[in-house]
Parts: sequence; structure tokens; C-alpha cells
Amino acid sequence: MQNYNFLDRSFDACLKCHACTATCPVSNVSLEFGGPKHLGPELKRLTDNQQVIDDKRIELCTLCGNCDISCPENVHVSTLTAYAKAIHADIEGTKLRDHVLSNAELVGVAASAFAPITNAAMTMKPVRQVMQIVLGIPAERKFPQYRFNNFKRKYRKTTSETKRKVAYFVGCYATYNAPEVADSFVEVMKHNGIEVAVPKQKCCGVPMFANGKMEQGLKNAKYNIESLLEYTRQGYDIVLTCTSCTFAFKKEYINYLQSADAHELAKHVYDADEYLRMLKEAGEFNSNLAPMNDKAGYYAPCHMKGQGIGNPAMDILGLIPGYEIQDVAAGCCGQCGTFGFKEEKYEISMKIGKSMSEAIADADADYTVTECGMCRNQLEQLTTKNVKHPMQVLAQSYVKNLEESVHASPK
Amino acid sequence: MYDEIIVGQGLTGLLTAIWSREEGKQVALVSTGLGKIFQSAGVLDILPGEDSRFADLMEKYKLNTCSRLTIYEAAKKYFQLTERIGYPYQGNIEAPITIITGSGNLKETAFYPDTIKPIPEQGHVVIVGFEEVVDFLPKYVKGNLQKSRPSLHVDTMTVSLGKGSSRTMSQLDAAHLLDQEKVCQHVLDQIKIKMAAKKIAKPELFIFPAALGFNKWRKVLEQATIQLQAAITEAPGMPPNATAIRLHDKLKKEAIKLGVRFYENTTIIGAKIEDNKVQAVITSANLEIKSESYIIAAGGMLGGGIEKTATGYKDKVLGLDLDHHGCYMSCPENVWLVGASNGMNVTQYGITGGVYSILSCYQTFTARKQHMKLGGLQHAKL
Ligand SMILES: Cc1cc2nc3c(=O)[nH]c(=O)nc-3n(C[C@H](O)[C@H](O)[C@H](O)COP(=O)(O)OP(=O)(O)OC[C@H]3O[C@@H](n4cnc5c(N)ncnc54)[C@H](O)[C@@H]3O)c2cc1C
Ligand code: SF4
Ligand code: SF4
Ligand code: SF4
Repeated sequence: MQNYNFLDRSFDACLKCHACTATCPVSNVSLEFGGPKHLGPELKRLTDNQQVIDDKRIELCTLCGNCDISCPENVHVSTLTAYAKAIHADIEGTKLRDHVLSNAELVGVAASAFAPITNAAMTMKPVRQVMQIVLGIPAERKFPQYRFNNFKRKYRKTTSETKRKVAYFVGCYATYNAPEVADSFVEVMKHNGIEVAVPKQKCCGVPMFANGKMEQGLKNAKYNIESLLEYTRQGYDIVLTCTSCTFAFKKEYINYLQSADAHELAKHVYDADEYLRMLKEAGEFNSNLAPMNDKAGYYAPCHMKGQGIGNPAMDILGLIPGYEIQDVAAGCCGQCGTFGFKEEKYEISMKIGKSMSEAIADADADYTVTECGMCRNQLEQLTTKNVKHPMQVLAQSYVKNLEESVHASPK
Repeated sequence: MYDEIIVGQGLTGLLTAIWSREEGKQVALVSTGLGKIFQSAGVLDILPGEDSRFADLMEKYKLNTCSRLTIYEAAKKYFQLTERIGYPYQGNIEAPITIITGSGNLKETAFYPDTIKPIPEQGHVVIVGFEEVVDFLPKYVKGNLQKSRPSLHVDTMTVSLGKGSSRTMSQLDAAHLLDQEKVCQHVLDQIKIKMAAKKIAKPELFIFPAALGFNKWRKVLEQATIQLQAAITEAPGMPPNATAIRLHDKLKKEAIKLGVRFYENTTIIGAKIEDNKVQAVITSANLEIKSESYIIAAGGMLGGGIEKTATGYKDKVLGLDLDHHGCYMSCPENVWLVGASNGMNVTQYGITGGVYSILSCYQTFTARKQHMKLGGLQHAKL
């Protein structure tokens, strides 16, 4: 591991007010976890410039970032816990399963190459039982599907010729598991007169950070920063459809790397809905949206909340005539990326998810809208409602409008 | 893009957001962390740190006589809201009640949730602690209580929640455990056994730490009241107190459901001001957010909205000049101040009490409504 004594003095400001622990989704359902106050600022104060301490309890931190949202003193709590995780993984070693799970991209490439087989196998009981025994991935846990015709295979544009230029960081989920999200995004941008380029990219690193594989995650971070800066320096905006990837670009790269490049890139990074909201404010948004009489419940992913951007998905979907959308005001979903795939964390994941599923049931909408693919996995496991990405809803409305205007206009 | 941007997620920020949203306004709330209710006892005091009547508040804060009427309306609106969100508050501003804190000291408070009851002058009370929650020690609580209530008969006991913990268990942790029916019953059974062993019969009141359930507080309270056949109170002490966190949690969820846009994990670091009007605020994430008006609910010095420097007070939100009371020298015409943002005149030991928070929110709320009616002419500052 590189530098145990990473530089972050934000712990000095800690008041020991407990706000972080009182709102940590894991602390709220489990007494096994040491909690953010203790494993963040307090542990760092104890070990800063001293002998490192490996605290096994840090395994339960999901890097959801709710502690940062709650802290009144701007302590970088989840940065401190991320390093504590890295130290622990380094000293204790990483399980085979965690290697597999943290390599979302490698798994994506392999699994989508054999997609029909992978998907079928993942629903077969004996296969899942072997997976539980060998890898410690619980047999009851739902898995996202893999697609043979993944987005990388079919979309190969690397430059944009339109006035506004968008470089799309697709992320593993929309590349391998849900290419329909990526397709919808490209469609939505097309309706706004913007051609989308897809730069060279590697997994954002979020699953690596979450498994304590800091060094590998930072390698990916540096690769992405270098690749994307080439674009931003030519006037491209970086737009993403996965809120965890966006969160990494805006917050984690900056906090972990503390480099000028990371800061420079973050200035050009937008969540897809945030980007559209910006277009709207600039008077460039195409509001030819066909009415949709749906009633949707919005589930806000933790990594969306942590970006400090309000609620752009609801702002944008609210522009569709007749469309009703309400934030169900749920907390963390409990899937937390790779966390919920682990046998020993499954029970905690389900406990966290319980209040989320109650909130979804209370809202009683036609379906749920959320940006995060991992949240979607948990929503599909714990609720009866279908789940859509905001880009899918928006694309549908644009396409419908086009079809209707073709019908309406005389031949 | 918004009608209103509120800076702060304390009691004043959340109340203002909800009340504005109910009027159909487009509302954004920007905050660095949760406000001070999180650390509070969850009961709303008149003057923090001392027993007082509303007249004391009026005198200290130089409030006009209208405020006496206004506080009744404000309290009513607050009670209605807390009722609707499932955590009702009650109380009378002219007749505060005396409650017990987690250290056994007594204090007066004006507005309180259903889990809080007054401490009687005499009779028989039982203080119950949890083995696992070390912040609340029944014998110590009893010692302090008897200093101010010598004629009260006090028994103490400690029971177990029956769960191990790898961290120091807080009152909030205990509250989450008591949400589980099994744990709750286990605790009540132990109390009954100890009462029998100690030959305790028919006490008037049981005193617990502020931990009687979180989401299921009503059920826990009901079960305890029925099975122990006595009144039950929580004694809020070291944070996190379930009394306070329930309030924050429910207010925040209500605001989200109503469609308030939360910009969290971010700080306002400045503003664009033209023609004596704020045009936009700028966040630490480099975002410019625009609104018709701006409400500063940043908690003054303790909340982080105002900083004391060697040369005087500094406005950390809009970056404007403050006088030697921490008040704006000249307030832009679309800016409104609530709670401790009104400067040092309204704070005591740096903080304002919960009663003033509610009053101040309500006054701003009504003044803004008036202002709208007048079509945006002059507005009365508090
Ligand atoms: C430890 C403690 C215990 C207390 N206990 C009680 C009690 O039992 N009873 C009682 O009546 N009162 C109590 N108080 C008083 C309490 O402070 C007030 O009652 C009330 O909660 C204050 O609310 P507020 O909304 O005005 O400010 P705060 O709760 O302080 O909220 C300020 C908000 O503004 C945000 N903010 C500030 N600057 C910025 C910026 N530049 N950008 C973005 N956000 C910003 C902060 O992050 C915070 O969210 C207590 C106070 C403390 C500190
Ligand atoms: S990142 Fe999430 S799980 Fe980890 S300590 Fe913070 S709130 Fe808890
Ligand atoms: S919320 Fe912030 S200040 Fe409070 S205990 Fe946690 S790290 Fe410390
Ligand atoms: S956070 Fe984004 S890039 Fe990273 S694993 Fe998820 S989808 Fe892939």
C-alpha cells in the first residue's frame, strides 16, 4: 500500500457531535460496526503520523457518504474511512470474492461475452449454492443481468461534431448490464442537438475503494482523469448517468488524490439530469416532450445526495406534461455497490433495505425512478415495482412526441 | 429558478422550508451538515440555559407585544405540523413544565414531545438505566434529582438490552433496539421482576434515558405505560438523544416528500449581489443557484453562519459586512433572516432557544406573506 500517512487534517474540526454515527445507515442497524465518528476522525487522530492501527470493524463501512452529508464541520469522514478500509485490506489481505466483486469491469467484459450463459447460470440454484460456498455470495441475492450486445460493442464514436460537445463516461453498469440506459442517454442528447462521444475509460474505481483496493482504484482514477482532461481541454463537458461514478469524479478523486488535475476535471463533470437542467437554464433545452400520465416514485441514491446538486432528476422529469413524480424520502437502500453481494453482510444489507422498501410501498407509485444501477438491484429484490433510469423515461417521452408529430403532420 | 433558497438545515431551516413549500413555493435548502437540533435535547426552551417565562424572552430580545400573540399562532402551526408527521409536540408558553435531564438536573421547557412528562414535586418515581448505555447512570441521576426534589421517593434499577456492541452504545442505539418488540418486552419483563424483588408498588412515574424507540416510539411508550401501569418519561442527556433525532428525521422526510430540493454536503461560500439584491449564491461545489429570495437560517455563530474574528463578526454565508452585534449593516432587499442569523442580540451563550426558533420562523413566514400581498415593497425586518 502506498501512503498510510495520507494528508487530511479535516479531523481536527471534529466536535464529537455524533451526527455522522446517528445517520450512518450501517450503524443504525448494526452494533458490530464501529461507526464513522470512531473509525473516521477519532482513529485518524490516534494514528496520524504514528503507527497504523488495523481495525477489522471498518469492513462494514460501505462508503455511502451519509456521514459527510451529516457532518456540520466538514470533516471528510468517508475519506478517512476509505483509507481505514485500505489499511485493513492491505494488512488482512483481500478475499477472492472481493477481488472478483471489485473488478466490476473485468467481470463485465467476461460475463457479457458469455451473456446468455452467465444470466442463466446466475438464476440456477446449484450454481448459486456453489457461489455461496466458494465465493461467499448469498444464494438468495439477485444479480444484475449481463448483455452480450453491450454498449461498448455497439457505440464507437470518440468525437463530437456538434456545438455543445459531450464526452460520456458510461460506467460499468450502463456498459455491461444496462446498455438501454446508455442508449437512452444518447437518444436524449440527440433530441437536444448534441452528439455524444465516448472517450477511453476504465471503471471509475468505486467498487475498488469500497473493497479497500485503494491503489488499484487510484490507478483507474488517474487513467480516467488523463483521458477525460484531453476532452475537457477541447471544450467537452463530461456527462455521466451513474451517480456513483459522478460522485467519484466530483468528490473522491479530489479527496483521495488532492491533485490539480482532479480539481480541474471536477469542474467539467455533470450528472446527466444536472446537465439537462443546466441546458434548461441556458435556454437550450428541448422541451418538446410528449405528455405521460405516469405516477413515479423517485428513489434518491446516497451518491446523488452527496453531490450537493439538489434533485435534478425530479427537476427534469417534472417538465414532462402530466408526469407526476415524488421523492419517496427513503434512506440508504443497503445494496451499497458490492456490499450487499457478500454473505456476511447480507443480513445488514437486508435490514438497511427494509425502511427503503417500506417507503416505496407507502408511496405506491406505478414504478420507481433512480439513477444508480446498484440501488436498482436492491429495489428489484425488495420491492414489487419496476425500476427505470430517468434517461429511459425522458427518451420515451421524446420519442413519443416525435411519433405523434409525424402522425399529426400531413404527408 | 427557485422562489426561495434557505440556507441551513437546523430547526429554523427545515420549518421554513416546509411552511414555504406548503404555500406552493419552489424551495431549495442548502446546508453543510445537520443543524443543532441533532445535539439538542429535543425539547424547546424559552431562554436556553435558564428557567424563564415568555416575558423574559420578550424583554431580553426586545420583542414587541404582538409577539405574545404571534407565539400562540406559531406554536399552533408547529403543533399541527408535528402531529401530521407523527411526532406531536405540546406545551404552553405561559406555563413551562419542569423536566429531568440525563444528569438528573431539572430544567424548564415550553414545548415537548409525547415522550416527555413533568417531574412531580412529591410521590414515587423509578429511574431505569440500561447496562449497555453508560452515559445514563440511575444512581447518579437520583443523587442530582434529590437535591432539587427532596420530598420525592426515588428508586433506581438497571436492566439489560440483551445485545452486545462493538462501540459505546448511545441512547439512539438503545432506541433502535427497543423498536424490536422482543427487546422491548425483555426490558419490561426485567423491570417487573426487579420491582417485585425490591417490593416497589405503584410508582407514579418511570424515568428512562431518551431512548424509548425510534420509528416505533409510540408503541414502546404505549407498551411501557400499560405494562408498568405508570406514566413514562424520557430524560434527554448526552447526544444523540432519540427525542431530538426523531424530530429532525421526521421534519426532513416531510420536507423531501413535499418536494424541497436539498443541496447537502456543500457550503455557500459567497453571493452575486447587484442593485442591493442577491442574484445567486455560490456553493463550494462551484454551483451557482438562483432564486427570488434568500432566507438565512444558518444558526449564527454556533451554526456556522457567523464567525467571530479578531476584528469583529464575519458573515460566512453571503460575505456581507456585519456590525458589532453581528447584524447586517445593510441587508439586501430579497434576503430574510431567521433564528440566530439575526445577530448576537437574539442569542444567549451563542445560541437561541427552540421557542425563539419557532417564533422567528413564523414571523418571517407571515412577514413574507404580507410582503407578497404588498407586491414586493418594503418588508419589515425582525
Ligand atoms: C449542544 C446544544 C444543545 C442544545 N439544546 C437545546 C435544547 O435542548 N432546547 C432548545 O430549545 N435549544 C437547544 N439548543 C439551541 C439550538 O441551537 C436552537 O434551539 C435551534 O436548534 C437553532 O436552530 P437554527 O436552525 O437557528 O440553527 P442551527 O441548528 O445551528 O442550523 C444552522 C444550519 O446552517 C448551516 N450553515 C451555516 N452556514 C452555512 C453555509 N455557509 N452554507 C451552508 N450551510 C450553512 C449549518 O450547516 C446548519 O445546517 C442547543 C444547542 C446546542 C449547540
Ligand atoms: S460511508 Fe456510509 S457506511 Fe461508511 S461510515 Fe460513512 S455513513 Fe457509515
Ligand atoms: S459529524 Fe463531524 S463533527 Fe460530528 S462527530 Fe462526526 S465527524 Fe465529528
Ligand atoms: S460506480 Fe460506475 S464505473 Fe464504477 S462500478 Fe458502478 S457503474 Fe461501474
